[in-house]
This record gives sequence, C-alpha cells and structure tokens, in this order.
Amino acid sequence: MSVVDVLSSVEGSYVAGRIRDSLYLFPLIESLHVLGLTMVFGTIAIIDLRLLGIASTKRSFRRVASDVLKWTWAAFALAVTTGSLMFITNAGVYYHNFYFRSKMVLLVFAGMNMLIFELTAARSVHQWDNEAKAPPAGRAAAVLSLVLWITIIFLGRWIGFTTTGRPDLKNQPADDINIENLFPK
Amino acid sequence: MMDVAQLADWLSRTSLSVAIQSHEWIIPTIQSLHIAAIGVVMASIFMIDLRVLGLAGRDQSLLETTGRFGPWLSGALCVLLTTGVFMIIGEPSRELLAFSFWLKMLLIAIGTLIASIFQIALKRNEHYWEKSLSRGTVKSLAIVTFLIWVAIVILGRLIAYDHVWGSWSLSPKA
Repeated sequence: MSVVDVLSSVEGSYVAGRIRDSLYLFPLIESLHVLGLTMVFGTIAIIDLRLLGIASTKRSFRRVASDVLKWTWAAFALAVTTGSLMFITNAGVYYHNFYFRSKMVLLVFAGMNMLIFELTAARSVHQWDNEAKAPPAGRAAAVLSLVLWITIIFLGRWIGFTTTGRPDLKNQPADDINIENLFPK
Repeated sequence: MMDVAQLADWLSRTSLSVAIQSHEWIIPTIQSLHIAAIGVVMASIFMIDLRVLGLAGRDQSLLETTGRFGPWLSGALCVLLTTGVFMIIGEPSRELLAFSFWLKMLLIAIGTLIASIFQIALKRNEHYWEKSLSRGTVKSLAIVTFLIWVAIVILGRLIAYDHVWGSWSLSPKA
C-alpha cells in the first residue's frame, strides 16, 4: 500500500467525513488544538526558563519539572489527538504542504532534543538541581527547545494560511466567504 | 453615531490597515506571536490555580507563587493587547463583526478583573488567603477562572469561524 493509498483511505474514513460534513466540528477541534498547544508551549517554557536561570530560580529544577511535566504531556496528547483529526479531513493536501512537513520534522527535533537532555545534562541533575542555572548542555537544550516550539507555532499557523478548504487562508473579508467553498466535497 | 460596521469599514481604509493587508506574511506572523503569548498566559494562570488547589508548588507560599508567575502573566497580556490591536486594524470586519470577538472581550474583562482583585487582596492580607485555601469557594473560583481563560482561547480561534453562531454573528450573510 502506497502513501497515497493510506492518505486517501484516512481521508475517506467515517470520522473524516463526519468532521468535513459538520459546520461545527472542525472549528471546535481546531480551537481545542490551540488550547492544547498553548498549554504545551507555556508549560515547556516554564521548564526552559528555569534551566536558563531566568524564572523560578528559587525552586529546585526537579520540583519545577515535576509540577509541570505531567500537564505538558496531557496537553500534548490533546494537541496530537486534535491535530490528527484535522489532518485526516484533508490528508492529501496537508501531507504535501511544505509547512506541515516542516512542522512534523521540527516536532521530531524537539523530541530528540528532550531525549538528549534526559540522557546528558539531566543525568547529573543532583549536582545542579538547586543552582539558579543548569550547566551549559542544559541551557543549550533550553534555548533549542524554546526556538523549536516557537517555530512550530509559526509553522502551524502557516499551514492554516496555505492549505485549501479553510476559511482564513483565502485572504478575503469574512463577508465574502461562501460556506459551500469552506469544506471540500 | 458610527455603528460597528462603519467603524470596521473606516478602520480598513486607514493607512496602517492598508499596509498590513498589503503584506501577506504580517497577519500570520502577528497571530503566531499572539498564540505564543497566550501560551505564557495560560501556563501562568494554570500554575497559580494549581497552587490554590494544592496540586503544585506547595513548598512555596501563595504570594511567592503569584510573584513567580505574575510578571510573566502581565507581560504576556501586554503582548496580547498589542498584537490583538494590530489584528483588529489589519482585519477589522473579521474581528469587529464576529460574535466570538465580543464574547471573548467580555470574558477577558472578567478574567483580568478577577486576577487583579485576587492579586491586590492577596498582597493586603496574605495570611487570610493562605488559610482560606482549604475553603471550597476559593477552590471553585480557581477552577472557574481557568475555565474562563480556556473559553477565551477557544473563542479566539472561533473568530475565524463566526458562522458557528448563526444569526448571532454580525457579519453579513453570504
């Protein structure tokens, strides 16, 4: 089965059809996606700024991380679920979209960055847990993480402006929108 | 008296609006910055509310917690106000004629008022508030506050889809 077959089969799935046929589901799912991603970015920023010695420096790194990380994962799960639901409504178009592809690559980079941090700087956390700043490797991971996640937000917004079948990409005032054109047949 | 549609029309012909409209990258850029700042606001409010609920940061006092997140919260709110104003100027009818926009503005006023009152009250009588945390009303207020901000985020995205409100939307029907 080729990629094209997979894409057209998810696009033809019952769930994808239900979302496309509804006037409300896509907007609702996209809103929840924004909710999830803002919580992902905001909670990760708390950890990154702690590593850099910019915020929450009076609490140990481990305390800050353990307060925050479980919520980051919960929010990430919401973002992935809603993101997948949006993807299947127009899989072929998203798959070929440059910004979508770049976003997926950067998400992988963000994951690798986290993994490398866990395997290096985080191994010696007992030595710098109460320091205001993490060692250079930890600070580098924090800067990279902030840059990656902010770029991911930009790429996500650009997907909305460059894929078809979405109301805000056509660069025309709201009163010119024809509902029939918003949802691909 | 100018009605809101006339205001939107006038705004769309100002030189700043025309400048924003003539560069395709400006609106998505402002929206992306707006979303990043929302992340800072949401995480800050969430962490303060978790502290009130006793679910995070219990080793720090309530005042230490608001001191930790308060400046980020107000800083990000300023970014949101600025980017928000540019979005209104750039796409006046999309924003000003959307039901979601006005409901969002109302909830922002309520959310900001609650946060400010809480911050002032806490500074005046820290001891009282720290003790009141076990009370159900304070905990419910923390949950309601967070839900108000969740609704603000959702309404923000729904501005792009004002048809969901049917006849409540002010935009002319196609």
